[in-house]
Amino acid sequence: MSAALHPGPAPRARDLILNGIFGENPVFRLALSLCPAVAVTTTVLNGVLLGVAVLLVQVLSSLTVTLTRRWIHPRVRIPIYTIIIAVWVSVIDMLLAAFTPALYAQVGLYVKLIVAFAIIISRLEVFASRQPLVPSFFDGLGMGLGFLLALVVIGAMRELLGAGSLAGIPLAPGKPLLFFALPAGGFFSIALLMALFNRIERQVTGTRAKAKGGGHG
Amino acid sequence: MNRDRSEVLRIAVTMTVVCALAGAILGAGFLVTHRYREASDRRAERGAILDLLQLDSSATVLEIRQYLAEGGRQVVYRAAPLGARAGTVPVREIEFDLDGRRRNSGMSADPAAARTDRALVPLGRMFAATRAGAPAGFVVEGETRGYKNKIRFFIGLTPDFEIAGVRVVEHEEDPGLGAEVATRSFAGQYLGRTADDLATLSVTRDPMPEDWRAALATLARIPVARWRERNAALIERERAKPVYAVTGATISSRALTDGVRETVDHFRRRWELLAPELRGPS
Repeated sequence: MSAALHPGPAPRARDLILNGIFGENPVFRLALSLCPAVAVTTTVLNGVLLGVAVLLVQVLSSLTVTLTRRWIHPRVRIPIYTIIIAVWVSVIDMLLAAFTPALYAQVGLYVKLIVAFAIIISRLEVFASRQPLVPSFFDGLGMGLGFLLALVVIGAMRELLGAGSLAGIPLAPGKPLLFFALPAGGFFSIALLMALFNRIERQVTGTRAKAKGGGHG
Repeated sequence: MNRDRSEVLRIAVTMTVVCALAGAILGAGFLVTHRYREASDRRAERGAILDLLQLDSSATVLEIRQYLAEGGRQVVYRAAPLGARAGTVPVREIEFDLDGRRRNSGMSADPAAARTDRALVPLGRMFAATRAGAPAGFVVEGETRGYKNKIRFFIGLTPDFEIAGVRVVEHEEDPGLGAEVATRSFAGQYLGRTADDLATLSVTRDPMPEDWRAALATLARIPVARWRERNAALIERERAKPVYAVTGATISSRALTDGVRETVDHFRRRWELLAPELRGPS
């Protein structure tokens, strides 16, 4: 799947989306943006909202970069990517604050931090700056969906274990394992889910996943 | 040499254009959304205040802002109906010395001028509700030092200074731990305590009795008035006891309790000074 990533014949939409969700899942495979993934995922709903915000920013930034890549001077491409991401983050931040004040009150702080998410700038550098419009769109969509899925799974695990509820609905009395609501518990949750993710992939493909997080972008 | 210079120039032009475009998009985004944001903020605040006082929108609410003036030697109060946009209604202004003597009181004819005429340090806001001419309750804004940063809250008081509700509106406590003090079930522990009860109120790390915990948990679902009716016996029993700290968040629990105590105490003394002034001819 991930062989289709680098410049060459145009990759297919389905492969690109699956690549974002499984092959190069931003959290479980590339291990990027772990800090926000830990910070917001104390509940499922927080995870969903931040995941959707990241999805929108990723798609919009990928589209902007792929459309303007001819005019972006290569020496200043990183600052320009940062500005593009910051603009979209600010626009989404303003829209959320104006139209969903209740949700914004909970995750507003983290929405602004999307500017510094490694996954977004890394997709712009690795993919959108080298590929035409359509593949860039699907790559952004796949990566955004992969991040959203990861946040939802981590959020569900931590809310269930840490607070004994799911999406705000209490399922167990008290707090079964308070530890999981704390930041350290977030890292343990990610590690456990990453191991599970690798195991499932090995059973499906019959091969051991290659660790490639560190060298990316 | 020449090529270098033209490249530098191109980079500078590209960056300038990008920044100008980014600024334009952000400006447009702000123009489109800020009206909705302000309106939703005002709505949320008015809703929270009426909700704390258990009033519907037929009550009139006076918003009183407190400022420190003249280098901290005077206290200025400005009163105007809640929800009115600044600069559209006349503002009543009352000034006191620090030892509580009134210096000046009157309507400012031009509200826009009154807002800018001198350096005022805002100290906080209070809201006094009246219904059919009789006082219906107060909401006081308060602030306290939490575990990491300030906790900002509203306290609803009945006309006899009994707590009708506490609502945390801004905090940065840890989710899953200190953030619990912002829940209705934690704030429910303050309900019905009088200003005199508060003066001696402490926080305990003892485990909360199970029946009390279960009763507080239902506060998230049922209106406060009905909740107090249903749990009258339990509330009576717990009123003599301290506030139970959130497990693992004693500091946040203490911070909010201290903040509530101080805010109510200050307000009660300020209101003694202010009430006769506000009742007078306006």
